[in-house]
Amino acid sequence: MLNVLSDTVTLSRLQFALTAIFHMLWPVLTTGMAIYLVIMEALWLKTRNITYYHHARFWTKLYVLNFGIGVATGLPMAFQFGLNWAPFSESVGDLLGTLLGFEGTMAFMLEASFLGIMVFGWERVPPLIHFISTILVAIGANLSTFWILTANSWLQTPAGGIFANGKFIVQDYFQAIANPFMLNSFLHMFLATLETALFVIGGISAWYLLKKRETEFFSRSFKVALVALIAVAPLQIFLGHLSAEQVYHYQPTKLAAMEALWETVPANTPADWSVLALPSNQLEKNTWELKIPGVLSYLLELKPTLDSPVQGLKEWAPNDRPKMVGMVYYSFRIMIAIGMFFAALMGITVFQWWRGKLTPEMMAQHKWLLLSWVFAGPLGYIAVECGWIVRCVGRQPWIVYGELRTVESASNLPPGVILFSLSGLMVMYAIFFFVTLYFGRKIIAKGPNLTLPAPRTVVQPTLVTEPAQHIPDQRPAEASQS
Amino acid sequence: MQPLEPLQHFLPQVWFFILGLFLFLYVLLDGFDLGVGILSLTAGGEERRSILMTSLGNVWDANETWLVLMGGSLFGAFPLAYATILNALYLPLVLMVVGLILRAVSFEFRENAENKTIWNLTFGAGSFLAALGQGFALGTVFEGIKVDELGHFAGGIWDWLTWHSVVVALTLIQGYVLIGSTYLILKTTGELQKTHYRTATIATWTTLAGAVFITVTTPILWDHARDLLFSPPLVYVFAAIPVLGLTLIVALLRSLKLRQENAPIIYTFLIFSLSFIGLGFLIFPNIIPPSVTIYQAAAAPSSLVFMLTFVGFLIPIVLGYNIYNYIVFRGKIVAYGE
Repeated sequence: MLNVLSDTVTLSRLQFALTAIFHMLWPVLTTGMAIYLVIMEALWLKTRNITYYHHARFWTKLYVLNFGIGVATGLPMAFQFGLNWAPFSESVGDLLGTLLGFEGTMAFMLEASFLGIMVFGWERVPPLIHFISTILVAIGANLSTFWILTANSWLQTPAGGIFANGKFIVQDYFQAIANPFMLNSFLHMFLATLETALFVIGGISAWYLLKKRETEFFSRSFKVALVALIAVAPLQIFLGHLSAEQVYHYQPTKLAAMEALWETVPANTPADWSVLALPSNQLEKNTWELKIPGVLSYLLELKPTLDSPVQGLKEWAPNDRPKMVGMVYYSFRIMIAIGMFFAALMGITVFQWWRGKLTPEMMAQHKWLLLSWVFAGPLGYIAVECGWIVRCVGRQPWIVYGELRTVESASNLPPGVILFSLSGLMVMYAIFFFVTLYFGRKIIAKGPNLTLPAPRTVVQPTLVTEPAQHIPDQRPAEASQS
Repeated sequence: MQPLEPLQHFLPQVWFFILGLFLFLYVLLDGFDLGVGILSLTAGGEERRSILMTSLGNVWDANETWLVLMGGSLFGAFPLAYATILNALYLPLVLMVVGLILRAVSFEFRENAENKTIWNLTFGAGSFLAALGQGFALGTVFEGIKVDELGHFAGGIWDWLTWHSVVVALTLIQGYVLIGSTYLILKTTGELQKTHYRTATIATWTTLAGAVFITVTTPILWDHARDLLFSPPLVYVFAAIPVLGLTLIVALLRSLKLRQENAPIIYTFLIFSLSFIGLGFLIFPNIIPPSVTIYQAAAAPSSLVFMLTFVGFLIPIVLGYNIYNYIVFRGKIVAYGE
């Protein structure tokens, strides 16, 4: 343990892991929820049914709370490459810096600027402008997903140039952007944010339905989330499968760690799929294991026996393969289990709906179903974090797979200094986590404001034609969001 | 001479300018956010503090994003500078990030809290820490960063901390307070506005004191600055800046005395621009002062062109919708219940 605390690389890795894992918690919700808000506002403008306006306002409150923490915790991410990973930044900056620069100009700015109008602008701009702002916020958030996943995919499957003297020279930018992992990884993450947000919305709605509060209101959000999930949940499993297949083709060390596979399975033999195992790094084997015969060959190639061998971890020297096999192995399984549970829950609920059992009056009778939804609420976060752990811990010992090692990439900082920033961030983040939960609970306990009148820009048609600029900034301080 | 050679000079220069623009917009815009944040520590009463925070509610996030833009673009355009500068300034930049985080979460937490005391404090303290961290970073611009022959950081982790950088940091904080109070003059009315006429006047004098001190000590303490300052053609620029600066300060003080509402922030912006231009001339063509040039630290020309194609195309659009945002929310903030 003391070794860890005096090792610059390990401390920098810990700090990156902590800040990335904690940061992920907020945008994963807001990115998906932004699309949900677009849907609600579209329904409001189309039907002029005030319920949808109240939905937009209520969910926006949770959105803003999460967004603020997301922006705050994103800052260390933007600077950490230089702060803690100077050699890495210099080596791949030509490409990675470009991609992050794009993220800033295309995505962050769009999101940040139009968020003001989206949150505070209901009374100040015409409905169409407000709707466009909401759409732009959603586009900004998802563009950010795109650039981050592009950058990260390049670390997984570098393309578009060569490494010369430890520096990456870009030869073809579009090839680097369209690296082998890019499309699939982006789509997988795009659906992950959507699925997480939909289950959070569904879970919170289910909680209200269980409590028999605002039943009609929350039946609606529950069903909007459910309808979206009919497409999202199964598609996500399919994309997850494609991602794993790509890992098999491009990152054999990661696949071996994901499956805790120590010995190579030769071609033309069936590969077993391990369900549970106790991997041991010292003994280079699983001390205990539960396997289903032949399943891995089906998973990877849809055939009873494999055409090409699946390489085991022992093919590589200990320094050339991931060390934390157990962590990668279990994170992978937890993610899969949650994805399957989500799809099953969606299926059962749709079935009940189809039988006509989900009218607002009958909702509260489905106690177990609703409880399952409440339980599912936070699971999306866990699945996403596990997925990223598989992706990035499984990539070790490489920071750029096959090209640049993590140990060679850290800044030469005194360990005490990193320990200082790491512990400071840890304390701060721990406090934020509980405070956000507390305030989130408070917003939920208070519930939606169903008496809120529609914005003046909509109710009084005379004001719609009036340019918004003539209205003074009369946002009452404090009550500005409610 | 190879056909592309002029480009290898021109492209880093363009990016130096773009990064300067991003940083400048950040300093102006988040400058008033941070200034208002620091001032909120002394605002008596919840109602006043609420007005202060409401005046930033819709803009702080976009303003802060200029810094992220700057960081991302520096990483892409001058990877060596990004790596070396951030490495050298680890502690002040962590301080800044922590401050900005505290400032950001305070907005959301305060909004939802019944007892707002803690979040008032974290908001003000966060703004102060962020400004302090930036001040130390600015101090290092004068001080310079110790590098080896490859341009990698070769100094100590506390190099940024000197008596001179402390003065620079305190001056920057004064500057932010000045810009924050002129923003509040623009956005508020009545007693609150009157208070900030006073604050702005005091901050003008303290900023001026710091600025004079820095201007005088810079050529005394650093040879390279002296050589630069007193040789043509730059000597004309550096002679003009103090004259123009003092004129603007007089105009600012006069507008504050006359209780003008829009003029003070405009004069303050101009004073900031002037200082910024001066700094730009002092640093150019270096990107890691005092010795690593933009040409040494630049990414490959293809990178710079590729980035320029997209970022350059987006800059006017980004500026456009930022301005639109300010137009939508222009006017005075009124207190709750009025």
